[in-house]
Amino acid sequence: MFFHIVLERNMQLHPRYFGRNLRENLVSKLMKDVEGTCSGRHGFVVAVTGIEDIGKGLIRDGTGFVTFPVKYQCVVFRPFKGEILEAVVTMVNKMGFFAEAGPVQIFVSNHLIPDDMEFQSGDMPNYTTSDGSVKIQKDSEVRLKIIGLRVDATEIDARENESLFLVDARTIFHLCIDFIFCFIVDSSALVP
Amino acid sequence: MSKLEEEDASELKLGEDFLKAKCLMNSEVSILLEHRYEQIKQMSDESINQVPQVFEKCLQYVKRFSRFTNQDAVKQVREVLSRYQLAEFELAVLGNLCPETVEEAVTIVPTLKSKGRLDDEAIERLLNDLMMIKKFE
Repeated sequence: MFFHIVLERNMQLHPRYFGRNLRENLVSKLMKDVEGTCSGRHGFVVAVTGIEDIGKGLIRDGTGFVTFPVKYQCVVFRPFKGEILEAVVTMVNKMGFFAEAGPVQIFVSNHLIPDDMEFQSGDMPNYTTSDGSVKIQKDSEVRLKIIGLRVDATEIDARENESLFLVDARTIFHLCIDFIFCFIVDSSALVP
Repeated sequence: MSKLEEEDASELKLGEDFLKAKCLMNSEVSILLEHRYEQIKQMSDESINQVPQVFEKCLQYVKRFSRFTNQDAVKQVREVLSRYQLAEFELAVLGNLCPETVEEAVTIVPTLKSKGRLDDEAIERLLNDLMMIKKFE
């Protein structure tokens, strides 16, 4: 689910940015720093949409850097256990299939695929019902219920930041393993 | 991560961080990101490469899974659904998935019934309202 929430972050700014454009510099640095990041707590930060408040700067001892506490509004994408959402199938094999909902990687194990669907190998591996009416293959759209999430912590080369850590978006949330298959919206890929 | 254990969207347990957060429907996010994408493109040609992957993926996702594309229709969906005293999360899920039958709606959002707030009739009315917006979009 996408949410609009307010987050806080302490921004460190180099003295060369002080001056008339201080605020602008702060905001553009904030966008660069947080957009595309992900944390287990808040999910993926998709876009900063506004600034709520910029607190008083504090000069750090020994450096010229100043720390500003910034409160900002942003759109985040955060999956929840029990949530039902739609996703696009990216890969099918005999273990199950992979799908993507925005930046979130999803795996549906074959144990959770309905029993009446059989795996068919070939050029276009797929799961098909016995009567052939429903087919899950690459690029199909499926509707899933999330039964568990995992934030993969092995690849945290994180930029540590106070209470929450941010991880580069690509390595991130390998999370969401274990999804239950709910029902299919549309077996697309029928498009010629 | 014991906190993750306690979360369950099917019971509307979203944790304290998201309890009061505003939920957005895919259609709304689509309008927002599309707008933002235009802005980024205008700023400079180089920065097209700078669009973070997460942004790109979300944009593709919401474009593909938006039920309503017309801005007025999207506004209307939120307006109409808010008449039914739904939680933010329920509202967004219904708006995203647009169920067609009462049974489907209750499967998708079990809390509709668990609290005994909405009877079949009310849900039926809600779905009809949604259908009308879709029809006249």
